[in-house]
Amino acid sequence: MDYLYSYLILSEIYVLLGLSTNLLVGVVGIFSVSQAAVFGVGAYIVGDFLLSGTLSFLPAVAVAAVACIALNVLITLPSLRVAGDYFVVTSFGIQLLATATFTNWTWGTGGANGMPGVPPPDLFGMQISSTRGILAVSTVAAALGCLAFWLILRAPFGRLLKAIREDELAVAAAGKGVLRAKVSAAALAGAFAGVAGGVYATYLSFIDPTSFDLDASILLLTMVVVGGARTLWGSVLGPFLLLALPQLLTLIAIPTTYAATMQQLVYGALLIAFALFRPQGLLGERL
Amino acid sequence: MLLLQLLANGIVTGSALGIVAVSFALIYSTTRVFHVAHAGVFTLGGYLAWSLVRAGVPDLLALAGAMAGCVVLGAAIQRFLYAPLERRGAAQLVVLIASLGTLAVIQNLLAAVYSPDILQFPSAWAGHVFGLGGLRLTGAQLATVGVDFAAFGWVMWFAHGTLLGKRIRAVAANPFLAEITRLEPRRVHVLVMAIASALVCLPGVLGPLDYGLQPYGGVTPLLTATIAMIAGGIGSLAGAFFLAIAIVVLQNLSLLVMPGEWSIGVTFAIFIVFMLFRPRGLFASG
Amino acid sequence: MPHHARFWPTAAALAITLAAPAFAAPAPVTLGAILPLTGPGAVIGTEQMKGIQFAIRQQNAKGGVDGHQIKVVFEDDQAKPDAAVLEFNKLVGLQHVPMIFTAYSGPSLAMAPLATRKHVLMLNAGAQADALGKASPYMFNTLPTTADEVSGMVRYLRAHGKSTAAVLYENDAAGIGGRDDFVREFKAAGGKILAQEPSQFGQTDFRAALLKLAAAKPQVLFVITTAGLKPLADQLHQMKASWLVAGTTFMEDPPTIADPNSAGIIHTQVVADASPALMAAFKKEMGADMGFFSRQYYNATQIMFTLIGYLEQHHQPITGTNLRTALLHIKTFHGLVPMTFTSNTAVVPIDIKEMMGGSEKTIAVATAH
Repeated sequence: MDYLYSYLILSEIYVLLGLSTNLLVGVVGIFSVSQAAVFGVGAYIVGDFLLSGTLSFLPAVAVAAVACIALNVLITLPSLRVAGDYFVVTSFGIQLLATATFTNWTWGTGGANGMPGVPPPDLFGMQISSTRGILAVSTVAAALGCLAFWLILRAPFGRLLKAIREDELAVAAAGKGVLRAKVSAAALAGAFAGVAGGVYATYLSFIDPTSFDLDASILLLTMVVVGGARTLWGSVLGPFLLLALPQLLTLIAIPTTYAATMQQLVYGALLIAFALFRPQGLLGERL
Repeated sequence: MLLLQLLANGIVTGSALGIVAVSFALIYSTTRVFHVAHAGVFTLGGYLAWSLVRAGVPDLLALAGAMAGCVVLGAAIQRFLYAPLERRGAAQLVVLIASLGTLAVIQNLLAAVYSPDILQFPSAWAGHVFGLGGLRLTGAQLATVGVDFAAFGWVMWFAHGTLLGKRIRAVAANPFLAEITRLEPRRVHVLVMAIASALVCLPGVLGPLDYGLQPYGGVTPLLTATIAMIAGGIGSLAGAFFLAIAIVVLQNLSLLVMPGEWSIGVTFAIFIVFMLFRPRGLFASG
Repeated sequence: MPHHARFWPTAAALAITLAAPAFAAPAPVTLGAILPLTGPGAVIGTEQMKGIQFAIRQQNAKGGVDGHQIKVVFEDDQAKPDAAVLEFNKLVGLQHVPMIFTAYSGPSLAMAPLATRKHVLMLNAGAQADALGKASPYMFNTLPTTADEVSGMVRYLRAHGKSTAAVLYENDAAGIGGRDDFVREFKAAGGKILAQEPSQFGQTDFRAALLKLAAAKPQVLFVITTAGLKPLADQLHQMKASWLVAGTTFMEDPPTIADPNSAGIIHTQVVADASPALMAAFKKEMGADMGFFSRQYYNATQIMFTLIGYLEQHHQPITGTNLRTALLHIKTFHGLVPMTFTSNTAVVPIDIKEMMGGSEKTIAVATAH
């Protein structure tokens, strides 16, 4: 049972991250490969507060969310100046810089040794240490994220974002605030990533830089592409599917010595197949 | 002396990275594909050469064989992956995902066939140390710097001095115009991928000749190379080459003034600031 | 006696087994292993996996443990903590394994609270971070911490008149921990640290860092990196610096020892000698040299055979709690590596070895006190 729960918890955390990535990459068209860095900042902030005992879970998550909003706005700013692939490389740079900081800033992050012993989340003075309890927390967080995402896509703001992606110049010419819309979307994406980081740190109780590296950012992009860009259901399906994939692949009988490499190989092949035959993902709109 | 040796090592490693950057820039400026799987082609070259050398093939022939293998792989990726995607009007994100998938397939295939262990070339000359007035360089390092600078010279001559090179540059400058003037951009794209794959095979073999082969070892060089390409200004091959050298030399020399754990971070921090203020690169052409 | 109730059925089962072995073989025992089998950590992870596989094949060919065939389910965590937690729950929830072999500090530390809660024995034979010793009552480490190794090396260095040192360390948990231990111990012993430089995991070109370290002119270069050791030996040789190069058990790497350029390098060595016959059998069966980590996990698997055999003889079910109790009761194991558990981290003999350009010889004993 705990296996199922831990799968659900991790998937729900990644749903929040998938929403965050989808908002930037799919909805606004800011091609970010550094969402894992923002996720990490959220995780470390919550970890630090809970370990030092200065704040309890909810206020700590709130601080993390605010910090991640600011950070995400800051790092998406270059996208206003440089477009397309230029920003991709800038974003790669931001991700690598974040990893270097997580690894070397021992005082704030525990450095490469990581941060062990983060206490479980607490709500109204009660510690939630059972897996089932944490599942409830992550479910509420993911549900709130989904609701916010759904409301935004339906609101006039969502239509404005869509228009910006399709023809930024026309929107600007029509006198609509392109800058403000992009910054608001980045802020919301930051909040999602910050909350996800908080739940992640308290569930795993141990965090280190390997969870927030370039591979993690690329995994997030993959989740969005496979699930489907720009739709709520795409952002939900992607994480559930991609976290289940390694488990499903173990069902294929391969000699143990090669099993792990073969799984990664199949994973790569799936990405190619998706790009070629279903670029809109399973439940998304055409990119 | 320390300064000089750091400088020399930086130029050696930088010239290898420079060829990665030049070959990547060649592809990017013509096809507009952010070809991450180039890191896989780079890695494959090293493993092919290693297999050939182990089978008793002389080193130079092994290099040629590895280049041929890379040409086939690069052309195949263009012909069977990027070209169909382009025909379907796939978004950049989708092409990037396909390229990442290809990279994962190549890396893990190599890891499955050759094991993830670091493999060493058996060639004795590569480890021989030559003293050049106080500097100490190995055979592999001298070969790296010689071959890579020669390759860069060849690329410059090819791009600017030959008809084919001019045709490629024409396609790069304006694909739409190229289409209607019968320059056949699709065939040019395959050709460019083939040439760039052969080029990237050189540092892909010579680097590991010096310090060993790893299946997952191509990503960091490629990432640094793309930074060089963008900072140098897309479309400027010389900019990509010399900025790659400059970046590695600076990373090496930065050790004199700060601890090494920050050198990669600082490189990228400088790059980000740079992108904010001079997003079109140092030597951008137009 | 709580065991009485179980005795007769077991004896009856045994009788049936003896009478008709073809029909009722004892149930196989399934264990788990969570190792990095892909990604950069796979170099070490696959070596560890081969050690376990080899031990299992040997034992099962001999008829298993008390007739039970032993099976190990391998899971890949890519050395990442979240994947490790998921795999842990999978192995414990679906396969009901009573114990798991682990490696790497990050994943092991992430799984430790779960091991405590689920009563699953964890046997780590690869990571040496200090925090692992107290991570969970269920987590046992068959390698001494780096601090134990380093203090032995520092005593040796100081006894041989070395008073200045520089450190080259891998910028990850293993390397940083080792660097901190060395800096602390060497200073405490009256030595002076002149410089330190990091390398990245998987990096094989160390020249820039080595040049900077050499410029400080230390008498000793202390190296704590887990990968790329042969290129490191070659590059050290290329520089012709006059320092003494010293390392830890990580240096025990067959290609590096076989390299003539490694002559003169000294390192502490957790004693894990395999006989030439065993090494040859391993090479034949697994198609690779029996490296240090293969020997460590071979040894850890032998410990598991001992524990399972002990529980079988005492007619106790093979659970994590019983395995742990058995381990603390037996305490001293005489597998490939003789070791004693007085705490959750084993006390193991440590030697100091010198590379001779193709082979190694023991030059001192450095076992922690």
